[in-house]
Amino acid sequence: MKKVAFKTLGCRLNQYETDAIASQFQDNGFKLVPFNKEADVYVINSCTVTHQSDHKSRNFISQANRKNPDSVLVVTGCMANNAKNELEGRDEINYVVENDHKSSVFSLVEAHYNGEIFHPSKLNYDLFSYGSTDKGFHTRSMVKIQDGCDNFCTFCIIPSVRGRAVSRPIQDILENVKSVIAKGAKEVVLTGVNIGRYEYENFKFDDVVEQILDLDGDFRLRISSIEPDGFGDKFLGLLNHPKMTPHLHLCLQSGSDPILLQMRRMYSIKRFMEIANKIRSYRPDFNITTDIIIGFPGESDQDFEATCNVIKELQFGHVHAFKYSIRKGTRAERMQSQVDERIKTQRSEVLREIADDVKFQYRNGFIDKEQIVLVEKTDGENAKGYGEHYVPVEFKGFKLKKNHFYRVKIKNITTDTEPVLIGEQVK
Amino acid sequence: MRSHKVIEIRNLTPSTYVIKMEKKDFTFKTGQYITLGFSGSIDRREYSIYSSEQDEFLEVLIKEVEDGLVSKKLKRCKPGDYLDVDGPFGHFSLKEDEISEKKFLFIATGTGISPIHSFIATHPNMDYQLLHGVRKEEEAYEREAYKKNKYILCTSREKSGDFHGRVTEYLKQNPVSSDTVCYLCGNCHMIYEAYDILEKQGINLGPIHTEVYF
Ligand SMILES: Cc1cc2nc3c(=O)[nH]c(=O)nc-3n(C[C@H](O)[C@H](O)[C@H](O)COP(=O)(O)OP(=O)(O)OC[C@H]3O[C@@H](n4cnc5c(N)ncnc54)[C@H](O)[C@@H]3O)c2cc1C
Ligand code: SF4
Repeated sequence: MKKVAFKTLGCRLNQYETDAIASQFQDNGFKLVPFNKEADVYVINSCTVTHQSDHKSRNFISQANRKNPDSVLVVTGCMANNAKNELEGRDEINYVVENDHKSSVFSLVEAHYNGEIFHPSKLNYDLFSYGSTDKGFHTRSMVKIQDGCDNFCTFCIIPSVRGRAVSRPIQDILENVKSVIAKGAKEVVLTGVNIGRYEYENFKFDDVVEQILDLDGDFRLRISSIEPDGFGDKFLGLLNHPKMTPHLHLCLQSGSDPILLQMRRMYSIKRFMEIANKIRSYRPDFNITTDIIIGFPGESDQDFEATCNVIKELQFGHVHAFKYSIRKGTRAERMQSQVDERIKTQRSEVLREIADDVKFQYRNGFIDKEQIVLVEKTDGENAKGYGEHYVPVEFKGFKLKKNHFYRVKIKNITTDTEPVLIGEQVK
Repeated sequence: MRSHKVIEIRNLTPSTYVIKMEKKDFTFKTGQYITLGFSGSIDRREYSIYSSEQDEFLEVLIKEVEDGLVSKKLKRCKPGDYLDVDGPFGHFSLKEDEISEKKFLFIATGTGISPIHSFIATHPNMDYQLLHGVRKEEEAYEREAYKKNKYILCTSREKSGDFHGRVTEYLKQNPVSSDTVCYLCGNCHMIYEAYDILEKQGINLGPIHTEVYF
C-alpha cells in the first residue's frame, strides 16, 4: 500500500482543499501518514501570506526530501503560483501545481505512477471538483462555495494568485451539503476566499445560507472567515437560526479608519461596530474572532492604539494577528511609509497581551453554562471537541463517541494561552 | 485579459492625459475600474473608466505621477499600440433605483473625477452637484462636460477656481442637506476628512460611496 503525507500551511481554505485531496488518495488505496514519517508521496499545500510561510514551505520541502529522496514531491497552493519558476527549478520537487489545478493533484500522481507523465497545466480544469471531504482530517465537513476575490485590498496578493471571484452553482452546493450530511457529517463549514460576495444567478450569500439551514438533518452550520462587506442584514438575521453556530470570523485588519482606507477595505470602523453590535444583540455571547495586520504602511502609534481599543471594546474571542510583510505586486508594496520591523515586533507583543486577555475573559464567561460539543477525539470517557461557539472543550462522560454531539456543563477553564473549557457531560 | 488598440491620446495638461481605446465587447458598470498595462508587461495599475457605458470606445484619465512607473510609461503610448485591459472591477457604483430619484453630490480630487465623469456621461439627466478639488485651474479636466452651475472647482494653490481652498473647507462652509447621496473619489486624506464632515452633517455613507486611489 502506498503512503501519502500532507503538510498544509495558511488558511482554512487550504486545509479544506488538503482534506479533499487526501480523500481522493484514500479512496484510491493510499494510506495517510503523518508528514514526519516516510511516505511515497508528499504534498505541500503552501501559502504566501507572510514571509514566514514561504520560509516554512521551503523547510518542509527539504524535510520531505530527507525522509524519502525517492518520493514524489508535489508543491501546490499560493507559493506554487508566486514562485513557480524557482520551485520548478528545484530537482527534489516533482510537480508544482498552481491553485487552479489543485484539484488534479491526485490525477497527476496517479499518472506519474502509470508512467504517463504530463504537465499540470494539461490537467482537467475544474475549480470545484473536490467532492466531499469526510475522510479527511476533521469531523467538520468543509464545503467550498466560491473561489477568488475581486476586492484587491492593497496588502493582499490573493486576487492576483487565485483569480477572479467565481461562485459555485447553488444547486451543486446544496447537493454537496446533502451528501456530506448523508455520510454523517455533523458540522458543515462554508468556505471560500470571499464568501460574502457569493453571487450565482440571482442568488446571494444569504440565500445560500438560508437554503442550507432549511435542509433536514442533525447538523450545524458554521461560516468560516468572512469580510465585513458584501452581505446584508438578511444574513445577520439568519445568525439566530437554531442550526447556525454562534461564531463568525469577521476580518477587521485594522481599528483605524485612515488605515482601512489605505488598505482599500470596504467598511469603516463604525460599520464594523454596527455589525458586531447587531450580532451581539441577538446573542450576547456570540463568538466574533478576527484577523489583524500589524504595522501596515503608515500605521502610526495612534492608529495602532485605535486597533487595540477596538479589540478591547469588541471582546474578540480570538485574534489572529500577523505582522505586515510586503507582498510583491500589491499596491502596499509601493507605499512609502513602511513601518520598521522592530516597531512591528513591539506592537505585536502589546497586541498579543491584549488579545490573550480578552480571549480569556470571553471564554471564562462560559463557566457554569452549557455547550453542545462535537467530539473530535475520545477514549470513551474523556473527549475533546469544539462547542457551538468554536471554543475548545474537554469533558468527561460515559461511552463517548467521535463525531457525536454532547451537552456539556462547563465547570472550569485552563490558563494556557489557548484556554480550554473543562466540563462534564450532562446526562 | 484582453488587448485593446489605442485610438487616441488627448493631452489635457502637461501631465494629464486621456487614453482612448477600442472597446470591443467590453462591458462595465459606470464607476468601475480596469487594470491597465502595455501588452505583455507585468507592470499594471488600476484606472477608473472615464467614458460612459454607452460610448463605443473605452477611455481612462491619467495623471503622470512624479517618480511613478506606469503612469509615466502610459503617457508615451501612441495610437496603434496595444494595452492589456483586465476587469472591470470594483463596487463604486450608483444604485439603479436612486439615479433618477435622488440628489447627488460628487466630491473628487484630481483624476478622481474620472468615474464621476462616467456617471454623468452615462446618466446625463441626474440631479447632481460636483465638487472638484485641484491645485490649479488648469486641472479642471474637460469641465465643459458638466453643466455650468453644477461644477464647482476648488483650487487650493490659486484663487482662480470657483472656490479658493480645499473641498473639505467648501463642505464646512456649505453644509449638505441630509437627503443627498454622496460619492467620494480620490486621495485618502480628502476622503477621510470629508467622510467625517459629511457624517456630522447627517449623511450616511456606505462602502460603495468611496473610491480611494492612493
Ligand atoms: C481603484 C483605483 C482607481 C484608480 N484610478 C485612477 C485614475 O482614473 N487615474 C489616475 O491617474 N490614477 C488612478 N489610480 C492610481 C493609479 O492606479 C496609479 O497608482 C497611479 O497612476 C500611479 O502609478 P505609477 O506606476 O505611475 O506610480 P508608482 O510607481 O506605483 O508609485 C509611485 C509613488 O507615487 C504614489 N502615488 C500613487 N498614485 C498616486 C497618485 N494618483 N498621486 C500621487 N501619488 C501617487 C505611490 O504611493 C508611490 O509612492 C487609481 C487607483 C486605484 C486603486
Ligand atoms: S477581501 Fe481583501 S484580504 Fe480578503 S482575499 Fe480579497 S483582497 Fe484579500
